[in-house]
Amino acid sequence: MFFRRHRPAPQPVDYAIDVDRLGVQYNLRFTRRTTVHGTFKNLLRPRNGPTHFWALRDVTFRVRPGESVAVIGPNGAGKSTLLQVLAGIIQPSAGRVDVRGNVSSLLTLGAGFDQDLTGRDNILLAGAFLGFDHREMLTRLPEIIAFADLGDFIDAPLKTYSQGMRARLGFSIATAVEPDVLLLDEVLATGDAVFREKSKARIVELLRAARAIVLVTHDMHWVAEFCNRAILLERGQIVADGRPADIAALYEERSARARAEREAQEAAAIARIRAEVASEAAPTARG
Amino acid sequence: MPSLIDLSFAANGTPGGNPERPGAPSQGRDQSREDANVGATMERTQPREATVWPGGPGAIDQIVEGLREIWSRRLLTRYLIQAELTKKGADTLLGNVWWVLDPLLQMAVYVILVTIIFQRSIEAYPLFIFSAILPWKWFSSSINDAITSVTARDRIIKQVKFPKIVLPVAAVTGGIVSFAFGLVPLLGLILLFYPHHLSPTLLLTPAVAVVQFAFTLPVAIVLGAVNVFYRDIGNVVRHGLRLWFYLSPALYGVDQVAHLTDRHRILAWIFAANPFTTFFESYRNVIYSGVPPLWPELGAWLFVSLILLGMAILFFKRLEPSFAKVL
Repeated sequence: MFFRRHRPAPQPVDYAIDVDRLGVQYNLRFTRRTTVHGTFKNLLRPRNGPTHFWALRDVTFRVRPGESVAVIGPNGAGKSTLLQVLAGIIQPSAGRVDVRGNVSSLLTLGAGFDQDLTGRDNILLAGAFLGFDHREMLTRLPEIIAFADLGDFIDAPLKTYSQGMRARLGFSIATAVEPDVLLLDEVLATGDAVFREKSKARIVELLRAARAIVLVTHDMHWVAEFCNRAILLERGQIVADGRPADIAALYEERSARARAEREAQEAAAIARIRAEVASEAAPTARG
Repeated sequence: MPSLIDLSFAANGTPGGNPERPGAPSQGRDQSREDANVGATMERTQPREATVWPGGPGAIDQIVEGLREIWSRRLLTRYLIQAELTKKGADTLLGNVWWVLDPLLQMAVYVILVTIIFQRSIEAYPLFIFSAILPWKWFSSSINDAITSVTARDRIIKQVKFPKIVLPVAAVTGGIVSFAFGLVPLLGLILLFYPHHLSPTLLLTPAVAVVQFAFTLPVAIVLGAVNVFYRDIGNVVRHGLRLWFYLSPALYGVDQVAHLTDRHRILAWIFAANPFTTFFESYRNVIYSGVPPLWPELGAWLFVSLILLGMAILFFKRLEPSFAKVL
């Protein structure tokens, strides 16, 4: 408390990302399929249940330049929401987020590409979406194309690309601009062995240049290989934060336990149903 | 990722939405400053804090910010228009042919309907209605493109931070190209069949088009945002546009319905409140009649349109933070 109040002006920045008691709330009333029709229906017959949902709650952490942080956790833990808040796509509902420097955030690589445009056009369009300078983008174009290594496909429409090719193009764009903060969501799952080696080299290079990386992945090998820190997220809250190997082990252990619990519950439910069926069947058998 | 799809709801950023955290500070002003400089430089040095609506950025601030975003992202607008043109096949010969043929065929339908079925005769009727069909097609196709402009880019919205307002703006601006192509058959029609209608006032067509553009923009911006929350708004709008067209003096002139508007005051009100009364009459003046457009009315509609544009930008900016959560 003392430090907080008397903290001097935050001139020397010792962190790239500062997240303080972050909360993100979703409103359940506006779902994907909201229509005028549906709204009238809901007015006539209001649905019960919770209307709000916290996707992230009380999340606090700092990332220093040079750190590569893996965010791991089960589905629905809020990993992608966290990346979206860091990228500035979603505003925090509570708390504070401070990201310093340029952010590159082609989160799920390749998903935002325009299917009818060529790879080359998509590079320029993605650059424009990210707000990069046009001339800089043009000078980097050959480099991006070379790194993606798509051959003649660079002038073919995106719809002819394989999943791996899309990921390659996306990774190439996201990292070519030398961002201060790189956010990646499930990117390393695709791509062949050669490209994996190349992307690994690129990430190491970015880390050496004191950039910060936050990536979401389910692949624990990549956590160990690429990251020097890991955060375990569960139900919107940080459960553990530390060395990748420890956190990965903890995650495996917790998910194994969760799986065991679920299996036990299912087994109990099945046993209960069997017992009910048996007790119903018993009198008729006797009678 | 599956979690994102399941959990796509609206923001807390709607009026009345209140973060439960008591300790969360509300410093919306910081945020407006932060957002304003993102467009050009990508610098993100201002921290983002939770926003509580009543204390959010001021209305004027947000309108200025929206205008600045539109201007600073004009390159993105250009790429979006190019992408749209490529997709519509405009870069092929046949694509362009259809842009020319489409208004001509529509004109032919109305000419058959009115002159043969209804037995009405107006001098040079094809030219008479063509000068209204062309701007109307521009308006209706711009609106239709703008409605889906935001939702069609849902995936990039969830991945990259950028001012979403460029999407409807690009949709409307891109419509200028098809309007310009439509002027080719118009000129052909005049030169080939109605050379005596050729007049220097034809050069004033862009002046009318500017006012129409200024009016189209706010309508498009509002509908583009509404469609994020109500995906079936397009169905409502489609029928609304059709009614709007028939209530505007496109197939007929204002003087031809004078006997109706004299008797029914409500009709007279509708015509007076409809900007397309002014637009169609003005286009017809410069293209068909060879007289100047209705300058005072055009000036008034330009003024109204600019006020509407400010309100539309404010409306869009207020809803924008929820887009990524709802899409």
